Amino acid sequence: MRPSCIVKVGDYLQFKQLIKLILNNIFQNKGRTFLTTLGVIVGTATIFLVVAIGKGAESQVNEQYAQLNVGTIIVSAAQRGPAADPLTEEDATRFLESSNIDYAFPMLRGGGDINYENFSYQGSYSAIYPEFQTVNHLTVYEGRELVEEDETEHNRYAVLGYELANTLTDGNPAEIVGKNVTISRRKFEVIGVYERIGDSSSPMGYDDAALIPYSAAQRYLMGTRTNPTILAQAKDIDSVQSAIQDIQYILDETHRAGGSDQFRIMDAGSSLAAAQESARTLSLLLLSVAVVVLIVSGIGIMNVMFVTVKERTKEIGLLRAIGAKKNEVLSQFLIEAVLISLMGGIVGVIMGFCAMPLLDYFDLPYKASVNGVLLGVTFSTVTGVFFGFYPAWKASGLDPIEALRHE
Amino acid sequence: MIMTNTTKCTIETRNIDKIYQNGGEDLKVLDNINLKVYEGSFIAILGPSGSGKSTLMNILGCLDVPSRGEYYLDGINVLDANDNELAQIRNQNIGFVFQQFNLLPKMNAIQNVMLPLLYRGISEAECSQKAVDALNRLGLGDRLRHRPQQLSGGQQQRVAIARAIITNPNLVLADEPTGNLDSKSSQEVMKIFHELNRKGHTIVVITHDQEVAEEIGEIIYIRDGKLYEN
Ligand SMILES: Nc1ncnc2c1ncn2[C@@H]1O[C@H](COP(=O)(O)OP(=O)(O)OP(=O)(O)O)[C@@H](O)[C@H]1O
Ligand SMILES: [Mg+2]
Repeated sequence: MRPSCIVKVGDYLQFKQLIKLILNNIFQNKGRTFLTTLGVIVGTATIFLVVAIGKGAESQVNEQYAQLNVGTIIVSAAQRGPAADPLTEEDATRFLESSNIDYAFPMLRGGGDINYENFSYQGSYSAIYPEFQTVNHLTVYEGRELVEEDETEHNRYAVLGYELANTLTDGNPAEIVGKNVTISRRKFEVIGVYERIGDSSSPMGYDDAALIPYSAAQRYLMGTRTNPTILAQAKDIDSVQSAIQDIQYILDETHRAGGSDQFRIMDAGSSLAAAQESARTLSLLLLSVAVVVLIVSGIGIMNVMFVTVKERTKEIGLLRAIGAKKNEVLSQFLIEAVLISLMGGIVGVIMGFCAMPLLDYFDLPYKASVNGVLLGVTFSTVTGVFFGFYPAWKASGLDPIEALRHE
Repeated sequence: MIMTNTTKCTIETRNIDKIYQNGGEDLKVLDNINLKVYEGSFIAILGPSGSGKSTLMNILGCLDVPSRGEYYLDGINVLDANDNELAQIRNQNIGFVFQQFNLLPKMNAIQNVMLPLLYRGISEAECSQKAVDALNRLGLGDRLRHRPQQLSGGQQQRVAIARAIITNPNLVLADEPTGNLDSKSSQEVMKIFHELNRKGHTIVVITHDQEVAEEIGEIIYIRDGKLYEN
């Protein structure tokens, strides 16, 4: 009679029992299990932290550039200091001839002491056209913003960044509206305070700056021999490149002596992309370190599993003799490896959480995320599957007779 | 085929050879083995060391395959079975008793005994109940939670026998079951085999001990891989 007529192969060890047998084994070798998981713990914690640091860097970059419109193009002198052939207000007007550009206006930046009553602040001011406020999404917290009339009338008005107003008034920014401050020893009346932008380390941050009308700055602070920067706004993101080409063309025309090469044309979108790119590169670099750690820990798991298989050779022979199938032996060892690495992964994530104050200490920005947890645990489990498979497969392939004879 | 004999064959081998290749040289360990063991019988296979007893037992126990010949166990053509089917046959049709007991050191008596049933997919509660019953029957009711190291050799062998019969197999195969035991424990174990035989198990005991074989009564001799009736 053929065996397939009589023997029905369908009875397998219950999964619950399988897990129970494995857990028994794991906990009867606590020391060994701990040493095996150590690598996985470190690897997973690293992955988790790396993802947190990466996310932190990314959100820092995004925050820094949040106030900046991606269509903004900044044209400035390539070299610092007084220029022989500076940009002019006429250049800005010319830029508007390009159909790709919506706004273009010059601005000036300067540093100097800002004084209010007996408070003094080493700050900066920006001389702007009113459109600047629109492009940079500046809104007022108290008072009003600069308007076209302030520009034409050369009004000696200033609107202060929130932090600046806050510092000068010792925590009561609204009170300064209507009062006089001196900027580089020139008197200006504060007509408003802007809403807080957020990140004071932002390169384009105006939280601690005073904004004054361009015409007033020229008349009272800087004179007409200035070296302005021109802020242009492309119609939309897709026209940024054409707008830059138009700007180059116009500058070549108007500044025949040096051409457009003496100016630096930067667009916010590409510098944002560059910053994001470098944040991503950093994450990727750290992540690959973590992956290497996990691979090394996986090799550790593999070694320990080989030792386990060797130690339990006789047991495997016995199990095969009493009717355990190859698959059952395979899954027993494979799941053991996976469980060990999964536990290591979970402990690793917990350790990662515990290590976060350390990042604070080093002033590293970070952001814990579900993605980091999932990535860490997934990676550790995959490590277990990958490196646990070969020893498990070896175990299941053992010849029962030789295994039984093993001492 | 019409069965003329009312007693069924538990084991039937036809012209089994086992040949090991040893450095290019063929070593014939089993030579034309024709063995019939009828259901309910109790036989001893007696032979000196190296005569091929364990090799024969491994083949009969479906742990090994012959180089040539046919083998029917409970009417099943074993040599046609695949690996999973063989595992199933070992689980359901055969109980093994070894000279070194082969108990798992980290499990207690109950856990050791219930293993074959667990691997059959039966729930733990049912398995452990049956294990307790089997251990009670073999006089180990007060050693249920002892680990192998905490048991004497004779007690360990009784746990191993409990493990062999918990699946209620037709055939119990024992390879030198008393080889590691003193004479008192040996007698106890042999008594248990007689009881199991009375309850209907077919038992094959492999031994090189003349006394053990004579106690069993029905003896088949093996020498240099060949079987002799007397
Ligand atoms: N895997 C193998 N490869 C080569 N030769 C083997 C192998 N296994 C067993 N033999 C040989 O087969 C012969 C029979 O071995 P077996 O183990 O069956 O003897 P035995 O009768 O059980 O002896 P003992 O009473 O000492 O246990 C021996 O000569 C042995 O060397
Ligand atoms: Mg032997």
